[in-house]
Amino acid sequence: KKMASKVRVVLRPVKSIVVRFCPFESNVESTRKFLGCINHKKIQATNRNCEVTADVRHDGSEPLVDVMFVDGDRLIMKGANLTTIEMLTALGSRCNAKDLKEEQKSKKSP
Amino acid sequence: WLPALQLVRHGSKAVTRHWKAMHFQRQKLMAVTEYLAPRPAIPPRCLVPRKEKVEEDNGYARLLRRQVEEVFRDNRMIAVCQYNSMPGEDMVLMRHYLRKHNIEVKFVLNEIIRPMLSQSKYKNLLPLFVARNILLVSPETKVKEMLRVLKGVPQINLLGACIDNTILSRQGVENFAKLPSLEAAQGQTVGALALLPSQTSSLLQGGSAHLTALLDEHIRQLQAGEMGSPDESAPAQSLGAH
Repeated sequence: KKMASKVRVVLRPVKSIVVRFCPFESNVESTRKFLGCINHKKIQATNRNCEVTADVRHDGSEPLVDVMFVDGDRLIMKGANLTTIEMLTALGSRCNAKDLKEEQKSKKSP
Repeated sequence: WLPALQLVRHGSKAVTRHWKAMHFQRQKLMAVTEYLAPRPAIPPRCLVPRKEKVEEDNGYARLLRRQVEEVFRDNRMIAVCQYNSMPGEDMVLMRHYLRKHNIEVKFVLNEIIRPMLSQSKYKNLLPLFVARNILLVSPETKVKEMLRVLKGVPQINLLGACIDNTILSRQGVENFAKLPSLEAAQGQTVGALALLPSQTSSLLQGGSAHLTALLDEHIRQLQAGEMGSPDESAPAQSLGAH
């Protein structure tokens, strides 16, 4: 049941993503896989302006994903106890919701 | 010849809307052929679990393992990086730049590396090997150039390195790059070590040097006074003799 590479995320409403983790900890696997999936060709192709930064530390802090949206919203996911697929679907659902809102706004005000 | 009596009561047909009692023979047949669920005598979790056969390694895995062992033995610097999928041309360019500094790029499989690491002395590198990784190996330690190349490639993130059998994190690698070269470091050490004895010697010689300076000054004053009155020349000369 490997869906991590098949989950489609449209990154249009996203301005930047910062993934922070400490590779010597043991709970970073899902966060690292999340980073790998985000850097996939197809997802990167949906938005070329979105900068994905990886912050590698060694201070025992927990893995963190910080997403900045174009309209100023911020999504923080603490990946210590989340799976990759959960994180991807959460991000994807929020992106879709924002996309719909934008479309509605653009339709209302031509 | 038709039978006189046919077993039909109350004119009900074979197919009725109410439940009709089966013929006795049919009842017997149905009772005999009822389905009985097979129940295991002992529930399977009480039995000793079957030991799964340990798969023998195929030659390919052995070959890869041998290569990895070689890599760990031959090279002074091994850097572990996370590999997110990169376009092909970027990959080739990066390999080219690193090859110029004699750094090789090796793709590794986690299933092969993990058992090897747990047996060798590199136990602390174990948690690094999750998700896709690559190794940058080199017999020389050109950390600055490697960091520069990696900065130009956003999809590869340096996780940690093992330089001269010392495990370093990313911070450690950056600090290592800022260190001066070996000769400069040696010169600094020698200077620091020589500082204390030089201080001691200057302290010890301080007293006698001070005395000599004072006497020289005194002679000069007396000689200057001699120009006016030559009577002081005898004690000045005896002082100068000592």
